[in-house]
This record gives sequence, structure tokens and C-alpha cells, in this order.
Amino acid sequence: MNKIFRAAFLIYCAFAVMVTYAESSDQHNGHIHETLVDGEKLEVDPELFGKFVEGLTKSQIAIVSVKGMVCDFCARGIEKTFRKDKTIQKINVDLSRGKVILAYSMDKEIVREEISHNILINGQNMTDLQVITIN
Amino acid sequence: MGIVLITLTLLLVSTISETRPISYPGGSTVMAFTDNLKDSLYYHYSPSYKYSIGLESLKHKVLEQDYSYVRFTYLLNRKNTQNSQRNLYFQSGVSLNGVNNHFYGVHGDWETRRWFSGFGYKQERREVEDYSEQFVQLGLAPYLGDYGDFHTWIMIKTKKNSLSGSWSTYPLLKFFKGDFLIEFGYNDKTKLDAHLMYRF
Repeated sequence: MNKIFRAAFLIYCAFAVMVTYAESSDQHNGHIHETLVDGEKLEVDPELFGKFVEGLTKSQIAIVSVKGMVCDFCARGIEKTFRKDKTIQKINVDLSRGKVILAYSMDKEIVREEISHNILINGQNMTDLQVITIN
Repeated sequence: MGIVLITLTLLLVSTISETRPISYPGGSTVMAFTDNLKDSLYYHYSPSYKYSIGLESLKHKVLEQDYSYVRFTYLLNRKNTQNSQRNLYFQSGVSLNGVNNHFYGVHGDWETRRWFSGFGYKQERREVEDYSEQFVQLGLAPYLGDYGDFHTWIMIKTKKNSLSGSWSTYPLLKFFKGDFLIEFGYNDKTKLDAHLMYRF
């Protein structure tokens, strides 16, 4: 390997250590929560969530925590899988917190295993599910 | 300790990046690729996230021959964490011109929203001449875009094939938005290295 590559590789490693440390510190200290009316914590970007629920009435919002959804491409397959479900009115993704946000109609029975299955067939893992009702 | 482990993982796992060689279940992908060795057009279909099957048509610039391959890629291992994903793939192809022309290899990647590392090794068996290809690619996202945004990666890639026998190192830029991706790099020795991809 030539000198340019060695130098670039060393610089990369140094930056990787610094940024990884900085980003992991942020996750411990800066995890944003917003408290809902019923006292439940909202574990998604409040601004993104606010825009998502604009115009929605009589809906159930499922906030799905996903492991391994680190890029736009990873999330795109998840979106396409859920788009096949006609009871879903709206879909968005919060990449920074690893969440998929789904708006279901009120008559839909939200089944944890069904959502988990849809995440798993895309090669990622569901770790948590929060359901919020919008009246 | 965590930092040490992450750094070691980065160093050990870094190696080729054929961006997302397997799509989502039922997804199709078209890729066009060109470098100093070949021009290639590749279509693959993924019945599941674990494997893809496809057809590749390529023009080999050094051996001055055209090949068509039936290709199979299999996800050997994936590790999902909250902030990263690591993949290891097996790739293979058999030429429609005859089974004496085939290839096999592995490639892997590890990425977070900020960092990317990938590697690959491929052994090509040809009636004319056998050769191998290998690469290592490292990348940094200068900003973290939201879902649906225009995403950018700045990368450095080093690659070698046994036909030329020497390493070539050069910068790469990767852009993607939605289902489109483009990646290109250039240096005096290997000239243009470009990769276009569309998933549907």
C-alpha cells in the first residue's frame, strides 16, 4: 500500500475514535424526550412528530424502534414493506433516533408481532413499540 | 474499552463496497459500473434480504472479451446495533459463455450514519487468464441528512488487481437520494471509477 493510503488510513482511524466517542457521549446525555398528555415519554424527534401528525385525526401512531437502520437505503425497504398495508395512512422515518413512524386508522388492531415481522424481513430488528392515539 | 472495541472492529472489518448487493424483499436493482478493468451492467432481484440473484453483462477492457454472468450473492452475516450495521457477503457468478469462466469472493461493510468502511476480495477464473481483485474503502458523511434528503459521502478507496499488480488509491464521492445512487472517483492511473444504481 502506498504512503497516501497509509496516511489516510491513520487519519481515518484517529477521527473514527474521536467522533465515535463524541457521538456515544451525545446519546447518553442528549436523548430527547417529550412528555405526552398521559405522561408517556415521546421517544422521537418532537419537531418531526409534530409535522407527521399535522392533519391527522382519529388515528393510531405507532413509533417503532429499529436496530440497524443506519442509512436512508436501509429504511427505504421498510417503508416499501409497510406501504403494502392499506390500513397505514402515513409513514415516516426518524433516522437520527432509529424510529419508524406509522399512522394507522382507528379500526386497525396494531399487532406487535406483525410490525416486528415487517422489520425483520428487511434484515433489521424491532426493539420497542410505542402506540399513541390521536383523536 | 468500548472505544477500543469499536476501533478494532473498524480496523478488522474494513475491506469492497458494492453498495447494497442485496435489496429489500421483492426489490430489484440495476447497477452500471465502469473502471479501468471493465464496463458492467448488472440487474439483480432479491427474494429476501438474505440473497439476490441476477444477470451481469460486462466488457473486459484488459482481456478484451465480453462476458455474461448469472450471479448469486448471499448475506453470510449481519450484525445490527442501535447505531451501526455490519454485513459480510459471499458473491459468485458463472458465465453463460461456459463454467470455466466464473468468480467467487467475499465482501463486507460496517457503517454508522457518520462512518463507512468496506472491503472485498474476488477471485476470477477465466479461460484466458485468472486474476484477483481486492479493495478497501473508507468513508465519512460530512453531514447527517434526514430520511429522504440528499446524502453525501466522502470516501477514500484503495484497490489492486493481479493483472496490474499494484495498489491504486484515490478519493471517491458518493451521493444518493431516494432510490438513486451515484459514486465516482478518479486518478491518473486507473482513470474513472463510476457506479450508478437504481432500486425499485
